[in-house]
Amino acid sequence: MNLNLLLQLAVSGFLLGGVYSLIALGLSLIFGVMKVINFAHGEMMVWGMYIAYTLFIWTGIDPFFSFLVSAAILFILGYLLQRTVVNRILDFPEAMQVLPLVGMAMVFENSARIIWGPDYISPQSRFALSSLSLGNVMIDVPRFLAFSLAIVITIVVLFFLKKTDMGKSIRAAADNRIGALLVGKDINKIYAVCFGIGTACVGTAGGLLVPIMPLSPHIGAPFTMISFIIVILGGMGSLAGAMVGGFIIGIAESIGPELITGLFQGVGLDLEFPNTMKQVVSFFILIVILLLRPQGLFGGRRA
Amino acid sequence: MAKKMNRRSFLKYSGAVGATTAISGFPAILRSQPKEILVGAVHPVTGPAADIGVSCRRASLLAVEEVNSRGGIKSLGGAKLKLLLGDNAFKEEQGRMEAERVMKEGAVVLTGPFSSGVAMTIATLCEQRQIPFVMDVAAAANITQQGFKYTFRCFPTSSNFAGNEILYLETLMKEKSISKLKAVVSNTGDLFGRDQGATFIKFFKDKKFPVDVLAHIEYPLGIQDLSAEVSKIKALKPEILIPITRPGDAKLMITELYKQRVELMALIGSGPGLYEPEFVRDMKALSEYTMDNVPWYNPQGKMYKEVNDRFSKLYPGKYIDTNSGYSYLAILVIADALERAKSAKPEDIKEAVKKTYFKQDLMVGGAVTFNDKGDNVNADTAMVQVLGGAVKVVMPAKAAEAKYVFPMPKQLWERGM
Repeated sequence: MNLNLLLQLAVSGFLLGGVYSLIALGLSLIFGVMKVINFAHGEMMVWGMYIAYTLFIWTGIDPFFSFLVSAAILFILGYLLQRTVVNRILDFPEAMQVLPLVGMAMVFENSARIIWGPDYISPQSRFALSSLSLGNVMIDVPRFLAFSLAIVITIVVLFFLKKTDMGKSIRAAADNRIGALLVGKDINKIYAVCFGIGTACVGTAGGLLVPIMPLSPHIGAPFTMISFIIVILGGMGSLAGAMVGGFIIGIAESIGPELITGLFQGVGLDLEFPNTMKQVVSFFILIVILLLRPQGLFGGRRA
Repeated sequence: MAKKMNRRSFLKYSGAVGATTAISGFPAILRSQPKEILVGAVHPVTGPAADIGVSCRRASLLAVEEVNSRGGIKSLGGAKLKLLLGDNAFKEEQGRMEAERVMKEGAVVLTGPFSSGVAMTIATLCEQRQIPFVMDVAAAANITQQGFKYTFRCFPTSSNFAGNEILYLETLMKEKSISKLKAVVSNTGDLFGRDQGATFIKFFKDKKFPVDVLAHIEYPLGIQDLSAEVSKIKALKPEILIPITRPGDAKLMITELYKQRVELMALIGSGPGLYEPEFVRDMKALSEYTMDNVPWYNPQGKMYKEVNDRFSKLYPGKYIDTNSGYSYLAILVIADALERAKSAKPEDIKEAVKKTYFKQDLMVGGAVTFNDKGDNVNADTAMVQVLGGAVKVVMPAKAAEAKYVFPMPKQLWERGM
């Protein structure tokens, strides 16, 4: 086994894992508070990507700065979506909550297609192609920047939830909806703000991903899927779980195939684990964790 | 835009046909002929190959307009062609659904579908419904090896591709006096990619060709991160990379090769992604010197020049390439068959398509004519290379517009981006 290659793969996976964490954080926050799964999550991320891209084309502002605009617009979109759609379905059975959000995913995907067209676009922003080498390991600069910003933003969100009045209200509403209502909190507003923060997280992640991957309207769905895996793995509604889960999936998908091939050859089998099956690795980890800890890594006790 | 144009011309022509019929009074037998022949065109206008799908659809519409403006199908009293558009989204099941829908709406012949996987499902359906299917683009060899009677392919097969890749590599190695090359073959995990990748490796092995394949790397269709795959390529230190790509992963591949500083003598691909106008537009200097073995338009052809002029006038910045070229051609083949069949019945159309001998200089290769399996025996590929921001044919010598550049004079990261 080539150790240098494994190290390289681990580094790339770790850096991408940071961005995955941020995407999953939004989903986890929304679920933790409202018990609704945002199935339009990946599609909203694609909107974040397109907003950062459009700003880049119009004004030349690098996506590493304009992600703030993506976050703001996605906050507004999320807020409105909660007020108009999600708020009406909060008390519905889970199966019925799925459909309106899957419908919204289609609306987001196809409106992006109408506005920006179906092409794959990869804008050449300033940092898009830079990389550093540390010894034999290459560090992809946009990935590293995206990773660092994702971590900073995650800390900001956590701080907001712990320290600010609004954050405390959100946690109170998550803990006990009726209790929060009784002490005079405006639950509808809290929920809408919370949904907005969740979608702003994913919008930010979208902006940060623009220099890393080509964008196209249909690429959202796999991200909904991956953040869903991360959230289940980390524990539904646990923010720390989303963070750790993001890193686990990022690294596992990157080094998994190579490591398994190495193991096969170690025991004398001439087999190769194809990269086409790398999602098998994440699902395998998911199943193992669910078998051992059905509530997820950081999930609390469920009633 | 395309849709509007189509309706406008349709109204114009149907108006004209109506007027002539009313004034001159056709003989009764002609009046009973259909005024409109419905052709289903199912392309991937959404999903991971949407840019290609859209250009195929546009080319088909342009070809239909051309046929109609020349007076439609004369042997059927000037009946006009009309396209029933479908979207297969690059998914097998949706391709089948859309094909079924256009058949229900009355399509008597189908074209499309760009993707080999989708081609397989539509071909099976056409066989059941006994409706001829004239495929514009689809390369996987096994589509036509199922004994289908209603499926015809204008495009070359993966064995054509592999055979020519070897031919061109042989010329290149001889001219540059290279005795052995180390290569990595990479491909997407869809039917086309798999078939193409496996066929290449098999051909290299069977013919004992002096290309040493260090690894065969496969990744899923629609992948958004190729860093792991490229790290692996880098560790293997190949001299050439043979990537079989789709539009999104082609761009990812090039940027990852740049970022990871993978040293290569050349990228000699074989598949879509490395020659489209969108690739050159986004990758700029990084697209330079990329070679690709593809069925290509014939740059010297009169027909090509006419068609491309109209196409690029309608859609600025775009041009007729492999896929749109074959989509255009497939419609002309259908029109030619209808003309000879003198009937709009699927069975008669099939019989006429079988006997096709359609001369063309739109694409590299000779007249379109099908063997008993339904493959176009004269379809061929060319080696193209991006030179000075334009895609040029570099091999075979008889169609070449420029001399190929090998090895790349500058590595990707030395190009000042």
